Amino acid sequence: MILDDFVYGDVTYFELLISVIVLITSVFVAKIVTIALQRFLRDKITKGHLNNILRFSYYSVIIIALIMVFPTIGIESSSLIVAGGIGGIVLGFASQSIVSNLLSGVFLMFERPIKIGDSVDIEGTEGIVEDIKIISTAIRTFNGVYVRIPNDKVFTTSIINYDTNLARRFEYVVGIRYSDDANKAIKIIKDLIEKEPLALKNPAPKVFVNNLGDNSVNIIVRPWAPSTDWFDLKMKLLWKIKEELEKNGIEIAFPQRTVWFANDISKNEVNTDD
Amino acid sequence: MYGQYDVPMRIEEDEISISVDLDKDNLIYNRSCADEGVEKIILLADNGILFINPIEPLNKPKELTPYLLIEFEKDVLIGPWARRKIYLKFPIEIGVFLSSNKKNHEILDVMTLSKKKYTLYGSITKGLICKYWKSDIYTSIPSTNPIYEGVLKLNIKNETADWINASKVVLNAYSMKIYYNNSMVSMKANMDIRNSNIAETSIIDSPIEKGMSKSIEHYTTRKIPAVITKFVMEAGL
Repeated sequence: MILDDFVYGDVTYFELLISVIVLITSVFVAKIVTIALQRFLRDKITKGHLNNILRFSYYSVIIIALIMVFPTIGIESSSLIVAGGIGGIVLGFASQSIVSNLLSGVFLMFERPIKIGDSVDIEGTEGIVEDIKIISTAIRTFNGVYVRIPNDKVFTTSIINYDTNLARRFEYVVGIRYSDDANKAIKIIKDLIEKEPLALKNPAPKVFVNNLGDNSVNIIVRPWAPSTDWFDLKMKLLWKIKEELEKNGIEIAFPQRTVWFANDISKNEVNTDD
Repeated sequence: MYGQYDVPMRIEEDEISISVDLDKDNLIYNRSCADEGVEKIILLADNGILFINPIEPLNKPKELTPYLLIEFEKDVLIGPWARRKIYLKFPIEIGVFLSSNKKNHEILDVMTLSKKKYTLYGSITKGLICKYWKSDIYTSIPSTNPIYEGVLKLNIKNETADWINASKVVLNAYSMKIYYNNSMVSMKANMDIRNSNIAETSIIDSPIEKGMSKSIEHYTTRKIPAVITKFVMEAGL
């Protein structure tokens, strides 16, 4: 029979046919595995992470099938191991950073310190996470610039994620004149915060005299806002505080210096100099 | 002001003014509420019907959360195994829906004259942002202006052998069933206390008084397939 004929070496047409069938079957199995994983993980992890896991699973199944098929088509496992060993050393040196990024990407998926859409600061790069790929993470900075950060850097550096927690606090320092009533100013500021919908009722805002400065009585204002909207509130609240204080006769203090002369200088002497 | 209107139409009540005027082939929707104004152009195949009714009070100033937290003006001490009903007030948001065939309602506008405020329920890491409202506790139905406030009948059930102190209730918007008539807007809910820190809240789909009309629900008109309608208060009562 033709199936028993040799194609090359000791490999018959039958063995070749079996190998092709195994490989085609492995593609189907890989697809079934990815569909099953997609259904199982769809609601549990983010889309970016899901895509990476699906890709990884798909190619893993095919690679395993290839390794299984190699002896059938005359490629010895032992020679593969030797070749793989040498190739591995060469590749290891060549792709050290790629493997490092890849592993970091996998660990990032499990640890999940950031997710797509979060506002983050990664080693001084502030922006919104656009994508988390297996090798790198894409950030859109707040001024619209695309930044690609390798995953090993993301994994090993400190990350500030502004959206992990539900609420965040921000702070103003409002300096008023010494002649103004600080208690009245505090009440005005607290009332203003109470009127702002996005300034959270709980945790309660803190408004207090923090220090008696060189030129002003410094009032610290610390409201809490939802993490998603804190900047909107921060942008509008300070000017409202300034306007409301001024409406009530409380001025924001300017730097000033009172000079005392050791000897009284009469007004006439000063005028004479002119 | 609640009910259905054939367009063109015009109504004014308190600080609210709503009108839909014919402008050649188009309809122009105009609304003013307190200091806020909205104008929209409506394109319809045939004559439309406008529905104005109270909706879940979670849309203004923005849709930030589906949870409403009502803090009690005074704490309530509930005896072991006690089953009592109390009445609270809740904020009103008014929804304007447009329909061309009475079946498909589309939200056109939302307005409110009630105070808008948010709060955090639970911790900063694991809590929830909620719309905030503070209410006195009443033992009978309080009088309200249906444009500003509604009445929530809350059935409290203490399922423990301990005395329980409660200061708030959290409700999920996806289950809210609001009813209205000319003099009142109402909602009914259960609060089943499991222990001193945990309670389950759920909405009852019935009016406080007979003859009240059911509001069109904004949170279900968006066709969200599977949502949990009960809420478990796990971060304290």
